[in-house]
Amino acid sequence: MNIDPVLLEILGNKVASVTEEMCLTLQRTGRTLYVKETADFACALAGLDGRFYAYPRSIGVSGFVGLECLPAIQSVVETQGALEPGDVILTNDPYRSTGLATHLPDLHVIEPFFHDGQIIAYGWCFVHCSDVGGRVASSISPLNTEIFQEGLRIPPVKLMRKGEMAPEVKLFLDANSRTPEANMGDIRAMLAALSTGRRRVAQLVGQHGVETLKSAPEALMSYAAGKAEAVLRTFPAGSYRFSDYLDDDAASRIPVRLAVTVEIADGKVHLDFTGSDPQVATAMNIPSCGRPHAWLTLRMLALVQTLDHSAPLNAGLLRPLSIYTPLGSLVNPEEPAATGVRHAAAIRVNDILNGAFGLALPDVLPAAASGTVIPIVMSEPKATGGRIVQVIEPLIGGTGARRGHDGVDGRDSGISNLANNPVETVEAELGVEVLHYGLRPDSGGAGQWRGGCGMELSFKVLTDGSHVLGRGMERLMFRPWGQAGGQPGQPGSLVINEGAPRERRLGKIDILEVQAGDTVTFRTPGAGGFGNPMQRAAEAVLADVQAGFVTAQAARRDYGVALSDGKIDLEATTELRQAAGSGEGTVFGPERDAWDGIFSPTAMDRLNAALLALPLSQRQARRREIFETVLAELPSSFPRNAVSQAQAETARKKLTTLLETL
Amino acid sequence: MNNLENGSAGRLRIGIDVGGTFTDFVMTDAVTGRVALFKEPSTPDDPSRALLEGLQKFLAHEGMQPSDVGGMIHGTTIGLNAIIQRRGATIGLVVTKGFRDILEIARCRMPSSFDLHAAKEVPLVPRARVVEIDARFDRDGTLTRAPSESELDRVATELNALNLDATALMLINGYAAPEAEARIADALAQRMSLPISSAAAIWPEIREYERTLVACLNAYIQPLMDAYFARLTEGLERIGVTAPLLITASNGGSLSVGSAVARPIETILSGPASGVMAAVRQAAQSGMENIITFDMGGTSSDMAVATDGTAGIATRTDIGGLPLVLPVVDVNAIGAGGGSIVWADAQGVLKVGPHSAGAHPGPVSYGRGGLEPAVTDCFIAMGYIDPAQFGGGAMPLDGAAALAALETVAGRVGMEGEDIAARLAEGALAVASAGMAGSLFRTMAERGLDPRDFVLLPFGGAGPTHANLLAEEIGIGRILVPQAAGAYCAMGAAGADLRRDFVRSLRTLLDDASAKAAESTFAAMEAEGHAWLEGELPDVVDRRVERSADMRYAGQAYELRVSLDGVEDWAEAFHHEHERIYGFRDTVAPVEIGTIRLALIGAGQPLAASVATGDGAPVKARRPLFHKGTWLMATVHERGALGAGAQIPGPAVVEQPETTTVILPNWIGSVDAHGNIIIERAPA
Repeated sequence: MNIDPVLLEILGNKVASVTEEMCLTLQRTGRTLYVKETADFACALAGLDGRFYAYPRSIGVSGFVGLECLPAIQSVVETQGALEPGDVILTNDPYRSTGLATHLPDLHVIEPFFHDGQIIAYGWCFVHCSDVGGRVASSISPLNTEIFQEGLRIPPVKLMRKGEMAPEVKLFLDANSRTPEANMGDIRAMLAALSTGRRRVAQLVGQHGVETLKSAPEALMSYAAGKAEAVLRTFPAGSYRFSDYLDDDAASRIPVRLAVTVEIADGKVHLDFTGSDPQVATAMNIPSCGRPHAWLTLRMLALVQTLDHSAPLNAGLLRPLSIYTPLGSLVNPEEPAATGVRHAAAIRVNDILNGAFGLALPDVLPAAASGTVIPIVMSEPKATGGRIVQVIEPLIGGTGARRGHDGVDGRDSGISNLANNPVETVEAELGVEVLHYGLRPDSGGAGQWRGGCGMELSFKVLTDGSHVLGRGMERLMFRPWGQAGGQPGQPGSLVINEGAPRERRLGKIDILEVQAGDTVTFRTPGAGGFGNPMQRAAEAVLADVQAGFVTAQAARRDYGVALSDGKIDLEATTELRQAAGSGEGTVFGPERDAWDGIFSPTAMDRLNAALLALPLSQRQARRREIFETVLAELPSSFPRNAVSQAQAETARKKLTTLLETL
Repeated sequence: MNNLENGSAGRLRIGIDVGGTFTDFVMTDAVTGRVALFKEPSTPDDPSRALLEGLQKFLAHEGMQPSDVGGMIHGTTIGLNAIIQRRGATIGLVVTKGFRDILEIARCRMPSSFDLHAAKEVPLVPRARVVEIDARFDRDGTLTRAPSESELDRVATELNALNLDATALMLINGYAAPEAEARIADALAQRMSLPISSAAAIWPEIREYERTLVACLNAYIQPLMDAYFARLTEGLERIGVTAPLLITASNGGSLSVGSAVARPIETILSGPASGVMAAVRQAAQSGMENIITFDMGGTSSDMAVATDGTAGIATRTDIGGLPLVLPVVDVNAIGAGGGSIVWADAQGVLKVGPHSAGAHPGPVSYGRGGLEPAVTDCFIAMGYIDPAQFGGGAMPLDGAAALAALETVAGRVGMEGEDIAARLAEGALAVASAGMAGSLFRTMAERGLDPRDFVLLPFGGAGPTHANLLAEEIGIGRILVPQAAGAYCAMGAAGADLRRDFVRSLRTLLDDASAKAAESTFAAMEAEGHAWLEGELPDVVDRRVERSADMRYAGQAYELRVSLDGVEDWAEAFHHEHERIYGFRDTVAPVEIGTIRLALIGAGQPLAASVATGDGAPVKARRPLFHKGTWLMATVHERGALGAGAQIPGPAVVEQPETTTVILPNWIGSVDAHGNIIIERAPA
């Protein structure tokens, strides 16, 4: 049935509203922190093709609109028979749900909505639950090497059969979690949300007729696809390649590379992740199952939405997009790769897409954001025994600058848009005194438009034997890059007892034991700048100095602006600026330049192609061997410090030889 | 208490609401029980001008003298507009060392996850005007860093050099020691020639960012409000009005001019709050306790929910992108207003809003240069509004232009054939209703309420026109259209109580000892409240205290506000509320008591109940109304001519100068003794 342009708008509003009501029901009836506070859940309506035609805009996890339900549904139908009214599917297994779930703590449920004996839509929800067993409490550790260490795998099964919970499924669930009651509470909240969805869809059928409801998914998705194509048609055709690195894979000091080629033509876009590293033996693999998966396409969705605010949020937005991800790579790992912290790699996926699209649309895309989310957790012994475990702050950085606009200081909604914790509530719960919670001057990359400042959190520990967890620390090595000649942001850092005799500068930590009186200072990276900093209006530099975002020394050094008595020294400024050089294009910073000097993009592309040709069981070892052999030729401060020509030459030769043996 | 007993002197109570387009007046006469309305075009450059001129005209029109005025209650948006447009005073901020970026960081969230170009809000105080002081408390309220004399001198010197109008002060954990923070504010004040507001003294609630904002917003609008009230008081004296002037507050109550100058932040959302309070009182008069208000104005529509005769109070609202934690009547924006633009996107799909033509240029039919049709133009195309009778005939509209503009949009969405303007208009109103219904369903879902159990109470210029369409969409079976629907915020002002809210954050496990301590804190807050009330209006006999607490299960991240009025067992009250909203109780986890709240309310003078003024439901005309694709003949009635007991079967239109009420086919309106129109589904 054809849906006219008035009814289309009405239906679009109504089905989106149904998904938001489902979310509100879930949030209201859910019991755990993930539901109540961090809103790590979502609800949607899927059509018969299993794609989401209605997705909430203002509540829940925003990035999952591209997930697909059909493989999980088909798997259940094949193994457990046709779906009946009152059936609800449960799964958490990335591999067996073909990428619907992306790590085990995310419990996904799907319910078929029937009308007159026919399925007319599916309701879907997921919740990040507290624990599904596995090696560590909460089931997530970057150091897990296989999915088997990450907890109970639930292949798509019928949790509910004709409205009754399958007792054997519940028994399995309860037996395999450290928090069975909380999990069951979250499952019941999802069932309540599905029931809201079922009731509201039935109401819509009553108002608009079943034929309209059956036609709505396709009509709404082709509408969104049309919007996306219209936006993409304005992009210059071409092929744009970009790569970036994670500092390491959490278990070794070898950086992890992500690379993409974005091909744009005639309202279509193809993402080719060839050149990305093989899957890693830690938990940051993104289980995309070779599909245009939500975690790999989020930036493109955001780009379309940025350029057309009226585009409805549904899977149709992804129709003009195709994807290639090498099997066995970080972005399409093979079973049994661990996936618990896949969001860490997803942050960098966002960065390479941002970089590649930025080559096509230099006036639209910003320079790199700070690219890190660090939930700083304190675990403190209680006087009465046991420990208090609490997040002090989820530390983020800023956003990159773009043409005409400075980046945003101390905020970045790129991956999550979590609220911080008031310092007063933190101090009321934990024995810490927060000394400084603020922006980090001079951290934002210099540019005609300045990158957003990173943040600094410094606190004094008041209880002996406390533990500090800082998972998610990134860009301590490779800086958030600048664009169009703008400078990169400062890298992050961690210091204990800064300025005191017991000062220690640390890299990444997993768990750090601290004692009463110690001070802990985290600094997150600043974001990249945009455009030549020598072209930044001197008044804007002065304003930044007056506000304290930039120091007078940095104004002189990075912007060529000389100040005296709080005023611009015009003569000296002109002199400084004339003497300064000007960069162009993407500016990665010295560490990445030093790295690329040995491990060139061409060599890395070749290496990864060769590694992927090896059997899965050999890749990791060969890769580690190659890097360790080459790095052995270089000082341990590489790539933080530049190396001599001779050293570089030796290392390059070594690499070439090794590549030839592959 | 008042001079009503002495015959006619001071017989009038006047409510005044200053809106963007009109300043509304409502007069209630204690002698005759009559309610009169009046509108004067607003004068945004100095709102007191329209107020004074309008008041004089109104009194003259009603044959009354300034000396007949016994009480005036007034709501103003000066403060709100200054905040939204960032046109307030030049203020500074003093914060604990290490927290200079408190306004830059805020709560760390961006307005959108999907917009790569989203920007954060402009901080109320730029970083260059934030000064750190080496002073802070620990979580128990102990002053662990006491500022030295030289530190105080340094801070005062820095502030003086910034050429400020005023400054705010926030010390970490100051909520636990508001008196101590106030003393430090005093010590600074003695060193400079600058007013300083202590955040903890104004609002001692835990959460440093939100508390800082309360103090900053207060300081930011104070000079403007002070000047405005000075002009107004002087003007009232000049025209011979000597009755006390009260200012409406965001919490649905009111306060004296003196209090409003000291704490202007308490008044900024008073307009919408007053409308809701009027609706609650009106519905109670007619025996209805569960209502959803629907205020549809020029730019947008708002809703609020009242259960058991009490309007919901929110403790977190958004003011121009900034959170406000003071208690305010919980009003939610739900979508389109009369000025919302009707348009088609590049794919030919029909859209309504979010852009609004506002009052200037306004809908196409206003003839002020608006080229894109708006919702009001749709009302014309469907016969809901008679363009010749708009504003009681004072502001005739250009119906032909509205139709032409709608036809253009109809062409863009591919409509052809007869009546395309009306068909497009009906589609646009359906789009608007669907959007409003969605927001309304969400608001109700959050509270665990079913909208079908509620009466819809529309007001605002377009509320009664659109209400029946909205009721059909959401499945509400009953609508109450009050007589004064077009000037409802002024009506609410006229009947406002005096009210002030107090807060203390305790953050402790709930047990006998802490409950006893909380009781004594409540007693201190109550004493402070009574002292305040004495200073506002002496001899207010009818007083009421409302107590509540934010509680949670230990370890939970979220709190629930629980009313403690008439409650013996606080923990049980919490368990009960938790079960009502979230569907379960946890009898194992200890209960924590976070912030406690007390409101002291001095009842305002009860307004004379409105009465139906006419007899029967005389039909003054008939005109076609577009409904579901065809034209139906509707009866047209004059609101003032309706008598109690009259029945008006739809399709029908009831006109009054401020608004038009539409009754759809298969619905029937009946006029009650108070002159309200109750619209219900007609029996099949």
